[in-house]
Formats: sequence, C-alpha cells, structure tokens
Amino acid sequence: MTDLRSISRRAMLAGASALPFAPGLARAEEQQVVIATWGGDYANLLRDNVEVPVLTPQGIKVVQDIGDEDPRVAKALAQRRLPRGTDDVLCLQAVRAHELGDAGLLEPLDATKVPNLAHVLPDLRNTFYAPHIFSQQVLVYNPNTVKNPPKRLTDLLDPKYKGKVGVGDINYMYVMMACALAATGDVNKVEAPATRELAMKLNANGLRLYPSTDSIGAGLKSGEIDVGLMWKARVVMWQNAGIPVAASFQEEGTVLYISGMVVPKNAPNKAGAYRYLNAMLERGSQSRFAERMGYQPTVDNSPLEGKVAEQLSLPAGVSKFFTPDYGITGPLQSSVSEWWKKNIQHG
Amino acid sequence: MVEEEHPARLKSVSKRTAATGFLGPATLVVTVMLAAPLLLLLRFSLNRFDIKELMIETVTAENYLRFFTDPFYLGVLRTTVLVAVTSTVLCLLFGLPLAYRLARSQSRWKSLCMLAIVLPLFVGSTVRMVGWMILFAHGGMLDSAVRWVNGVGLEVMYTPFAVVAGIVSINLPYVVLTIQSAIETIDIRIEEAAQSLGAPPGRQFWLVVWPLALPGTAIAGILCFILAMNAYATPYLLGGPRFQMMAPLLYWEFSTNNNWPFASALALILMSTTLVLTACSNLLIPRRYRA
Repeated sequence: MTDLRSISRRAMLAGASALPFAPGLARAEEQQVVIATWGGDYANLLRDNVEVPVLTPQGIKVVQDIGDEDPRVAKALAQRRLPRGTDDVLCLQAVRAHELGDAGLLEPLDATKVPNLAHVLPDLRNTFYAPHIFSQQVLVYNPNTVKNPPKRLTDLLDPKYKGKVGVGDINYMYVMMACALAATGDVNKVEAPATRELAMKLNANGLRLYPSTDSIGAGLKSGEIDVGLMWKARVVMWQNAGIPVAASFQEEGTVLYISGMVVPKNAPNKAGAYRYLNAMLERGSQSRFAERMGYQPTVDNSPLEGKVAEQLSLPAGVSKFFTPDYGITGPLQSSVSEWWKKNIQHG
Repeated sequence: MVEEEHPARLKSVSKRTAATGFLGPATLVVTVMLAAPLLLLLRFSLNRFDIKELMIETVTAENYLRFFTDPFYLGVLRTTVLVAVTSTVLCLLFGLPLAYRLARSQSRWKSLCMLAIVLPLFVGSTVRMVGWMILFAHGGMLDSAVRWVNGVGLEVMYTPFAVVAGIVSINLPYVVLTIQSAIETIDIRIEEAAQSLGAPPGRQFWLVVWPLALPGTAIAGILCFILAMNAYATPYLLGGPRFQMMAPLLYWEFSTNNNWPFASALALILMSTTLVLTACSNLLIPRRYRA
C-alpha cells in the first residue's frame, strides 16, 4: 500500500491538477459521434431532425465530416488496417455500403444494437447498413411539352425525343440497371449484351449526360430536355421549386435507390454510432426527411400525411419495384464504369 | 603572403557555410515535399488494383501498359495536349499585344488597367466557371441573345470551344503579367534607335522587341501550357461528362473507381508528358534568345 506521506508535494499537485481532465476526456470520447455525410440539405436535415432534437438531449455531441461519397469510401478503405478510424458513421448509397461490407470493413447491424431496425421495411433490410431513405428511379418529363408521357424506357428511343433525353452521368450504374430491367427483365444484368445495346441506342438518340443531379432539373426547366431518368424524390423537390416536371413509373418496373448509414469496424465510438442510427430511424426524423427531400421513409411506423403523402403516393397498378442484388452488381461497378466511359461518354 | 590569404579563404568558407545554412532548410523542405509524394505515387502506380483490398502491393507495369495500349486513353491524352496547345497559342495571341501596350503605357490609367487584369485572380476559378456556365447554358445569356437575333439558339455549353474559352479566361492574366514584366525590362531607347534608323513599327517589333521579349514570352507560354494540361474544373464544368481530359479522368479513376494504382499511373503520365513537352518547347526558341 502506498504511503500518502511518501508522495511529494509536486507530484500531489500535478495529480490533482490532472484530475478534472481525466473523466472529462473519457466522457468526450464516449459522447462524441463523427458522421461522414454529404453536405447541403442532407447535412442540415440530419442536424435539425436527428442530431439536435434526439441526440443532443442524450448528451451526444455530433461532428459532421462533410464530403463526397467517393472520397468517403476511399478513406474507409485506406483506413482499414488502422485499429481506430476517424468516423463513427458513414452515409453511403446501398451499393457502396455493400461494397465495404463485402470487403469486411463494416460492423454487422441488428435490432439488439439498433432497436429501430425492427421497424425497417422487409425489402430494405440488410446486414451492413441501416437504410435511411429510398426512392424509385422513374421516367421524368416536362408536362408542358410532353402530352403523352413515356411508359417504358424504350419509349425514349422515339425519334421525337432525339436530343431531348437527359440522365445524370454520376448515376451511370442506375441507368444501366434501368436498361437491364427494360431489356432483360433482370435488374442485375447490367453487363448483358441486350442491356448494353439498349444503352447504346439511347445514346445514339442524342442522350444528354449531365455532370450532376441538379443540372438535370436545370435542363428540364430551360427546355434543353423534355424527358429523363431520375429519382422520384427529386421530382417532388423540383415540383416544390416550381420546375415543370412529372413522373411516370415504367411498366417494366422501377429500380430502388437506397441510401443508408453504416458503422465501420474500426469506428472509435460504436455505441454512439448505434445510437445515431437508432435516432435516424425514429418516426419523426424519417417523416421530416420525406417532407423536405421527398424520399420515402424506410420504416413501417412513419406514415406520411398531407401534401407529401399525395406527392409520394403510387399511381394505381404500380407495384413492380426492384432492389438490386448488390452481391452481383457491386463487383461489376468498375467494369460497368469502364464500359460507360468508353461507349456512352465517349460514344 | 600565405598569412594574408588565410583570412580571405576563411571569409569565403564562412560565406559558403552561411549560404548553405540559409538555403538548406528550404531546399530540404521542397525536396521532401516534392519528392516524397512523387515517389509514393510511383510506388502506387506499380501496384495492382483490387476492388476489396484497394491495392495489392506488387511491381507490375500493367497500369502503364493499359494506358499505352488502349486507344481511348491515348485519345484523352491527345485531346488534353490539343486543348493545352490551343489555349496557349490563343493566350499568347491575345496577351502579347495587351502586355506590350501596358508595358509601354505612360497613362495615369495604367494602374487601373493592371488592376483590371489582376482582378479576376481574386475570384476562384470554379466560381468564374459558374459564370461562364450561366453565359453558355441553354437559355443562358448567349443562347438567348442569338435566339433573339436569328430565332435559333446557340449551343456552346459542353463543347470544346467552351472549354478552351474557359481556360483562356483563367490563364490570360498570368500570360499578360509575365510578358508585360519581360517587356518592361527592354530599354525603350532601343526601339527609339530602330525607329530613328527608319524601321517601321512592325519591323521594329519583330526585329527588336520580339527577340528580346522571347524568353519572357516563352515562360508565359510554358506557364499557360502547364496550367492548361492540368485543368480540372474547366473541362469538368464546361466540357461536361463527354469531354475527356486527363485531370477529370484521373479523378474519376481515383474517386469513382477507387483505382489508385491506375490513377497514380495517369498522374505520372500526365506529369511526364507536360515535362517533356515543356522541355521540347525550349527547342523552338533559338539558342541565342534563350533565358
């Protein structure tokens, strides 16, 4: 046993002065959650609907690490060998989440860790990510110039749409999935000859490639394009912004875009990360995202009401929705990207 | 005699030591900061890409072979060089008369003109490109004006013209300022002497001013060429996804595909091409006029 009298006065003072910091440091580490996310509206909505109302009262301080998805994925891959990464939660599209999960970088999730996962819609459940929002990829058109809306993707091959069809270049994988669905009936056959042939035909009909999703809205507004492929959520956002746009669900079915959150295996604060995911799946947080961004809630206990419910309601007879098998499409990303670059961008 | 030389030698040695002391840290920092990333890049470029592992450490030339055996990538390099050369030529054509006029100006408005040239540099290049986008876009100012005149619009956005115009607008101030400072150093009395000997203005410029301004003009051209070769925001925003240049392609490989080894190889190929072409451009200048 240490005799207190043997401790020097200087050591005693040093120890005493360090005391207030020791629990503080531990608490700061425990209570801080770093979320790597997109910026803009998405980050603001996370702050206003998840972080401030739900997590701050729990004593959790959230730091947003804002950036694009690609560098986020690269960072996670580059940090894979580190015992402690820098982010607790990563916001990713489902396909990228699956890519990291498949590489063994993500913590498996279940309702014991994140109780609200029990409310996630059955089609959206996944071991590696907690789905946050989803939307259907639909045909979009300008109702002022298109009187007979396209019903199938192949309708866009009509010469009357020459030079008037636009898609997002960054959404190349989803465009190829839509082509696969229309050409083969299987959303995962993104490299099938029939899929590629349809994409080439669309390209030959003067397909316009836009560098960002928002630039498609600008193209519709300015009259540069009349039709295109886009998420239903964007249609709602653009309608709310006064852009003349309407949605048409393809008869062959629509591909689901899912975005979610994952927890890296080397997250510094996993407990905090699970609490973040749980807060994100709360019904209030979910419905406010739908109201503001037009994305559908991913949980079964957050029914929509009012204008947004009307905007997001499905037309009669529409029931074909396809979630890609990321185990198949995930590993094909590089080769599809290479093909897209050489044959569509450069075609 | 020996005793007299000794303090002089000592003085020289201490001067050298002082110079080394002053230059050493900066040289070391520059060397490390430049060489270390380049060596790392070279090492990465010899690795193999793997979708799950990101990179597999090995020594392979497959990334370089992929580039040099694929007509698509060679085409992208060709486009990049073509855009850079065109932009450089245009910048020199527009910049030289402007720089000459400024250098020889005695006007009280000279400072204001200089400020007008420098002012665009206060605004980030991406912001300026957004301005060009507003000008060039469908339904934008240019398109609307042309449509108002002849009823048919003018599509400039996402064309090579838009990219070259954007790069010229960014690089022109650098070119003007560099050439202007070179011309400022040429004694005006030499031109006056040529004039007094009966040389008309054109002959006076080509035989007197141009050879003396050539080293400065070459530096301006090289500066412009290097900036154009490495342009990212301009081809991305004004050229669109269909206009392929090396820097956006490199970023696509690095970020979208996570293919760091191939992106590293692309970066080194771009840098080597720029260096080789810059060195070759020096050969175009007659030896007696080189700086």
